[in-house]
Amino acid sequence: MDARLRRVNKEIADCKNDKTSQIKIELIDESPFHLKGSFPGPEGTPYEGGYFEVDIVIPESYPFQPVKMKFITKVYHPNVSSASGAICLDILKDAWSPVLTLKSTLISLQSLLCSPEPNDPQDAEVAKHYMTSKSSFDDTAVYWTQVYAGGPGPKDKKGKGSGKERDEVAIAGLEKAHVDRFEQWDSKEIDALRRLNYRGPNIAQISDDRVVEELLK
Amino acid sequence: MSSDYEYSDDDGDYYDDEEMIDGTQDDEEGSGDEMMDNFGDDFKVAPKGKHKSYEVEYESLSQQAVENMMQQDVDHICGIFGVDEDTASLLLRHMKWNKERLIEKYMDKPTSVLVAAGVSLPEAPPPPPPGRTHTNAATQPNSRRPTTRGTSKLLGLASGPKSAKLPASSPTATYATPKPLQRQPSKKADDAFVCQICFNDAPNLQTLSLDCEHTYCTDCWTDYVVSKVRDESEHSIRCMAEGCALVAPDRFIREILLPEPGAPILDSKKGEQNAKTWIRFQELLVRYFVACYHSLKFCPYPSCTNTVSCPSAASKSSLTTIVPTVSCGARGIGSEIQDLTQSQQFGLGLHGKEHIFCFGCPIESDHRPVICNVAKMWLKKCRDDSETANWIKSNTKECPTCQSTIEKNGGCNHMTCKKCKHEFCWVCMGPWSEHGTAWYSCNRYDEKTGVEARDAQSKSRASLERYLHYYNRWANHEQSAKLSVDLYAKTEKKMEEMQITSALTWIEVQFMKKAVEEVEKCRTTLKWTYCMAYYLGRGNEKELFEDNQRDLEKAVEDLSELLESPIEPENIPTLRQGVTNKTVYVQKRNEIVLEDTAKGFLEGRWRWNVKVEGFDDPEEQL
Repeated sequence: MDARLRRVNKEIADCKNDKTSQIKIELIDESPFHLKGSFPGPEGTPYEGGYFEVDIVIPESYPFQPVKMKFITKVYHPNVSSASGAICLDILKDAWSPVLTLKSTLISLQSLLCSPEPNDPQDAEVAKHYMTSKSSFDDTAVYWTQVYAGGPGPKDKKGKGSGKERDEVAIAGLEKAHVDRFEQWDSKEIDALRRLNYRGPNIAQISDDRVVEELLK
Repeated sequence: MSSDYEYSDDDGDYYDDEEMIDGTQDDEEGSGDEMMDNFGDDFKVAPKGKHKSYEVEYESLSQQAVENMMQQDVDHICGIFGVDEDTASLLLRHMKWNKERLIEKYMDKPTSVLVAAGVSLPEAPPPPPPGRTHTNAATQPNSRRPTTRGTSKLLGLASGPKSAKLPASSPTATYATPKPLQRQPSKKADDAFVCQICFNDAPNLQTLSLDCEHTYCTDCWTDYVVSKVRDESEHSIRCMAEGCALVAPDRFIREILLPEPGAPILDSKKGEQNAKTWIRFQELLVRYFVACYHSLKFCPYPSCTNTVSCPSAASKSSLTTIVPTVSCGARGIGSEIQDLTQSQQFGLGLHGKEHIFCFGCPIESDHRPVICNVAKMWLKKCRDDSETANWIKSNTKECPTCQSTIEKNGGCNHMTCKKCKHEFCWVCMGPWSEHGTAWYSCNRYDEKTGVEARDAQSKSRASLERYLHYYNRWANHEQSAKLSVDLYAKTEKKMEEMQITSALTWIEVQFMKKAVEEVEKCRTTLKWTYCMAYYLGRGNEKELFEDNQRDLEKAVEDLSELLESPIEPENIPTLRQGVTNKTVYVQKRNEIVLEDTAKGFLEGRWRWNVKVEGFDDPEEQL
């Protein structure tokens, strides 16, 4: 039997037999080389309670070349692209070792959610958010976990009655007062402020003219 | 040419010199001359005797010659440190072949250097005393460790998943000595072995490990090495275990890829692939070595494995005074690419073409007389779309009301904008209604706004025209050089024809071929003189340069015309006379251009009209 196939089959079987790790690997179609992995968000992080799915493609020269993984579930994290789900992790690149398995790689992804590396970001905007205002970043990450990964949502009981717009402001990690100030200009004020990173101490450095300029782009 | 050339020890010493590593070359001229004298006879490319001012001294080295240089460094380190060859070469590679730094660091902290280079494991005891490892190496000609496993398959399956923990932290000190491979039989020889990569648990499975004792089956090791070498072009191959930093020594890789005689024959396809991987691995090692030295450069032509050594062009500052055009001496494409037939090579213009390239920059041709920085700047300008904008600026105007860009392609000055229907005068850009009765001739021409607009426009047009003037001539010579493939074929036919129609022998018609070669060479020079002229600052120097350029161009065109002229049997003697004379003349003119510019660079005579790295700022701005 082909060594790659034997190895992948065994890895899938091992994962099925292991009840403790909560990591799951399933087939997407007929091919054993295109899989879907999933794991729960780690406790004590904004991702807690969510369930994250990962697209796994096993290359021809596996296990001597690393597996290709990306998030199917949208994740708000500095090392994960908020648009494509691409992951920035050393073991998926040069630090790959043939001894690593699908399961161990998925566990590494899980622990990546615990410990972001904002200095080596995949998504610069998210990383900027993380660096400038950690608490606002956490709010957004919790919100994304709730919306996309089936998480429980914010723990404080403010009630969700404040309408859709408020939520959008929260996703972008902005404050409503700031958004309202520029609302008259354009309906895309949330986007623009997010791009400018209009948060926390940054606000003092961004003139209103600069914001308007960004809005009119 | 370099295959039959014996590498001598003298050259090795030359490279051992510390100066080489720094890329400086102040006092090296003397030894360089000596070197050329010793080998001048073996080299067609090396100039004999005193070299011309526009040529640099260089030497072509075969892969074998570079390997010998590497071997000398390795031997040197072996002698000093008392380590075996594999360790020495791993240490040298780790230090980017900087021997002095390695010696310094190693004398200071041998253990940490050994660990960092991937030779020994962390927390290792100091390396064994000199001499011991040599005996070790000598007594281990075969470091493969075939292990026969007698346990049943069933047992292996059962224990397989549970033995997933690797023996990574084997505390035994004996494994940490910097000898290349383990020969001791595995302590767990009785347990069923399951390769943790392919999960193969077959009895009689052959396994291998480095000093770290991370054992995997030989097939996995082979696949791993092949994948690293062929897919990633990696020459430093680490142990497969996660986080293990040990690097596989060359002997280990060789044994994996090349079965010793008498070993069971693999399937031939795989064996062939492995052998190719071994060749590729050796090439990668040489390439890495070459990349570590500023005075060496790998030949950029496809599948050529030669290296050129050019110490005089090793430093960046030297590139402002010389144009280091070199050749590795080989011609055409190496025989390894069998997919390319002779005719295909011919089509690509590579057939029999000498591997000429610039030592100082990535341009794969002769760009004399112009220096690397300026040539690079020119090529970038030609590639950029910036000239499109220039064209728009010179050929269009904007509608005064709606700002649409308009190109006037005929008709009178009474413009009506297609978009906003605004009527205006093309000359003064004012509204047409204000022209009153002065139809078709603008009497407002000299008014304030008009003067400014015209100035801006004519300036932009002049700069575009200037660029196009140089570019067209540059491109023309480039095109001609490309067509030279056809010219070669045509000339060869003509030469045959001449042999038939006249009493001339083969050797006597060679003047045609010589002339074609000379024309091609001169066209390359001419091409780059236009780049040079474009950037040269105005002044007497530029005028003299352009005079030389003009003389060469005229001579080349005359000769080209002669070559293209039809052959009549009765005028062959005159043709021969004319072509030979002109060839010599063209050759002389080419030399004058090259020599004069080269001297100019050495004397610091040339002034540019733009900022060029390593030169003073231009006085005039264009």
